[in-house]
Amino acid sequence: MRNRLSEKVAIAGVGCTRFGNMLEAPELKGKSIQEIAADAAREALEDAHITAQDIDAVYVGNAMVHSSQTPATQTQIAKWIGAQFKAGMHFEAQCSTTNVGAALAAQAIASGVYDRVLVIGVETTRTRVKGYSPYEREAIPAQQTWLWTDMAVNQAYSVPQGYDIFSTYNGLLALGYCRKYGISVDDFDRGMFELCRTRRLHGSMNPKANEQETLEQVATRYGFDDAWEFWRSPENPFCAWPSRVRSLVTTADGASAMVLARAGDAKAMNPQPVELKGFGICHSDLPWYTDDPTFWKFDKIATDQAFAMAGITAADLDYVHTHDCSHISGICTAEMMGYLEAGKGLQAACEGRLRFDGDRPMSTHGGRHAFGHAWAASAGSDTYEAVLQMRGKAGKRQMPKRPEIAAIHTHGYAMVGTTIVLGAM
Amino acid sequence: MCAQATQRVEARAPAAEAKSYVEQYYDALRDGRFLAHKCRKCGRYTFPPTTCCEHCGSWDFEAAYLSGRGMLLYASHGIAPPPHPRFAGIAPYVYGQIMLDEGVAVQAIVRGVEATPQALRAIFERGPLPVNACVMSMTDLPVLAFELA
Repeated sequence: MRNRLSEKVAIAGVGCTRFGNMLEAPELKGKSIQEIAADAAREALEDAHITAQDIDAVYVGNAMVHSSQTPATQTQIAKWIGAQFKAGMHFEAQCSTTNVGAALAAQAIASGVYDRVLVIGVETTRTRVKGYSPYEREAIPAQQTWLWTDMAVNQAYSVPQGYDIFSTYNGLLALGYCRKYGISVDDFDRGMFELCRTRRLHGSMNPKANEQETLEQVATRYGFDDAWEFWRSPENPFCAWPSRVRSLVTTADGASAMVLARAGDAKAMNPQPVELKGFGICHSDLPWYTDDPTFWKFDKIATDQAFAMAGITAADLDYVHTHDCSHISGICTAEMMGYLEAGKGLQAACEGRLRFDGDRPMSTHGGRHAFGHAWAASAGSDTYEAVLQMRGKAGKRQMPKRPEIAAIHTHGYAMVGTTIVLGAM
Repeated sequence: MCAQATQRVEARAPAAEAKSYVEQYYDALRDGRFLAHKCRKCGRYTFPPTTCCEHCGSWDFEAAYLSGRGMLLYASHGIAPPPHPRFAGIAPYVYGQIMLDEGVAVQAIVRGVEATPQALRAIFERGPLPVNACVMSMTDLPVLAFELA
């Protein structure tokens, strides 16, 4: 494959809702799924200083038809954003959806078919419609969310025979990491504590995050003076030894959106567009790894393709988000990418290097744990954050030096390894 | 059969019509056999069986049965209650990464090990450990599992 765009493509506008529970979060409460999709789309369109009348196609992604009970096709959403009588499609790549949508949009634009594409991702993993009501919602039990989510996983053999995301994505990976690099399980636990502390710090500085309490504040709420003591307590149990529940994703409802266009057109719409310099997409069924749980071949292929298309190396990266449904998985990916030194990721977390003000900033929105995870909308939230950082508009969590080059990696369960490279213009 | 298997597999009448590879796999498993496809082009195994060699893309393969012997590299556990109702009666259960003697990576339930930090730490410190495949007989489906050899 030639692995190149024939014309430069840029993001002209981005939008993202608060991630949270539609029954509780003030920014989401009382709204329908159509309305939160429209909120994200409107922010992206207004960021690009256009209306949906000015775009050529609408790509709408949604993975969990069970909870949204509207497959979020572009035909259903278009009417809520003023985009009737346009081209478009409904698509999904699970938790990589929105960034795969950006790649699809870039292909359509660089090929000369469309000039402007609006990509939307919308998902509810905390709440679902209640009964047959078009507007009432109710909570989803956690295991129900995972059962529905696991419908994206090998349905012939793995799920029927007890496949378990918690061990496969966390515990087994953690043990592989410890053995490969000679790290004790206790030191691993300390590293995961520090990583969670960093991600929650970022979430506490982000008004759109699902979890906005620092880890210290959570510990205090549970009656602990020492956050490390809290971390090792039964209030933070192992979900898949040696991984604990606060090293995992938190589920959320939410939506994100972006407007893509030719680079020159994007510049005319927005004084601060961000170039989509490259992307790589590579999938794999289970098992995601063989004898080395820290190495996932499809992530390597996707990242190599993205870097080659963008013409960059790891040394060029100023900011990275790697998919961190599992915090240790996110560290392994960043090490594979070359952003962190192999086997030193947790040490970097302990040294504060992964903070927004560190020398290897990662996931400054809070990542999947603190910002939260609304499956098909989440990749867009990662891109949203990178664009804010590159524009110098990330508020309290703004990196001291604006990143020029950023890489966003996501896992579309299970699995669509996706890496995109963004560049300041 | 697994030593700790507690549920009975219901008897099934043999089907007269052609069976999917999926059904053939579970039928073999019910008999304690581990059905794979061996590629006639590259010689590698696809386990469990699919319609094509997962390694080289060849459609030319033959049925083969794996030994069920391998090494348990890592063992962790899941949550309770589990996402899938089939396993509600045994959760939390141990789940492991196994490399079979035939070079096939398998993830499966591990029986005979408690899902506690103490037991799993002991397994980790002793590992890798030899294991043998067995069959857990759930009410509606035989399930591949492994036990320490």
